[in-house]
Amino acid sequence: MAGPVFGKARPSEEGGSRVTHLDRDRTLVDAARRDPAEFDALYRRYLAQVYSYAYYELGDHHEAEDVTERTFLAALANLDRFEERARPADGDGASTFRVWLFRIARNVVANQRRTQRRRPVAPIEAAAHVADGVDVEAGAATRDEAADAWRAVARLPADRRRAIVLRFVEEMSTAEIAGVLGKSEGAVRVLIHRALRTVARDLDRGGRR
Amino acid sequence: MTPFERDGTEVEALLTDLYLERVLARHGTDRGPADADLDPALRRASDRLRRDLTRVHPSFRFEERLALRLAEAAAAARLPAAAGAGAGGVVTFRGAAAVANDGFDPLADDPDDERRELPVPLLIGGALTSAAISIAGAAAYVAWRWARPGRGAGPMVRAARAVREAHRAGGGFDMSAR
Repeated sequence: MAGPVFGKARPSEEGGSRVTHLDRDRTLVDAARRDPAEFDALYRRYLAQVYSYAYYELGDHHEAEDVTERTFLAALANLDRFEERARPADGDGASTFRVWLFRIARNVVANQRRTQRRRPVAPIEAAAHVADGVDVEAGAATRDEAADAWRAVARLPADRRRAIVLRFVEEMSTAEIAGVLGKSEGAVRVLIHRALRTVARDLDRGGRR
Repeated sequence: MTPFERDGTEVEALLTDLYLERVLARHGTDRGPADADLDPALRRASDRLRRDLTRVHPSFRFEERLALRLAEAAAAARLPAAAGAGAGGVVTFRGAAAVANDGFDPLADDPDDERRELPVPLLIGGALTSAAISIAGAAAYVAWRWARPGRGAGPMVRAARAVREAHRAGGGFDMSAR
């Protein structure tokens, strides 16, 4: 899991030192700012994550590719606007590079939806692909189970579904998800808890049928 | 919801969060910690989602194609910097921005993206306007075709006209006549 890295910041102008949140991508971001060609390292690190997020949001490989491309081009174009800050709990506008990147991805997905007037997810197709990715030899039973799980998630309201995907697929911390969704950590915790309750009920009903 | 119920939900949500932290930290195992102080139904659902919601990877071809595109955008961004435009400051990549943004700001907050609707009246107005322009354009083109000098001077038109005039003159058209 991509956890934040903490370290000592340089002493502030007032004199004392304070513990601040350092982005684990700081070196790569600095390199990319000096030479845009170095952005490739950030791209390789986060490609699968951004693509996966877009795919779970849109349920279509082509659209996921389109969103991924736009996200990284936008990130490269706006790298000068990225500011490394403390965690959301530490103040307004807190951000790390991954949170910042996913905020872009989220906006690009929203823009894609507005442009194309498409509603999210093709659950069956998505679940079949996801199941194939889990274990090719596990056969139809595994695929069916994965399809059931994904269908249960796909039925959730958008913000709960998104929080679940960020938590389980991207393995983000609550703080990171809060940064991406623009909510407090407490709100994200409740969002995920309620989503899990709904999914549990849904899966339970499916199991009894 | 009463304040007491809300507090209860927040406590449960905190327990769920702690459990998920432990579940997601256990890479390579199917089940989370059995001793967790959490509703078994929630535990089962968490274990299930952890197992079944996996990351999806793009194709290698797509990865390399986009890498190339980014390298081109990066190279384009380097040119103004090399020319001194960004000397000593932050380099801005306006070329790539224009390609990527399509007029929207990817960094702007978009909290209720699901609820936003397209400006329908504007769309309908736009569609009507473009339809009107299309019809007017088509009408102008047809009028020009009919009015232009040398109309119908093509070989097929000439042949058709000859047939019609032969019919008018004496009824019949001798295909063998040269």
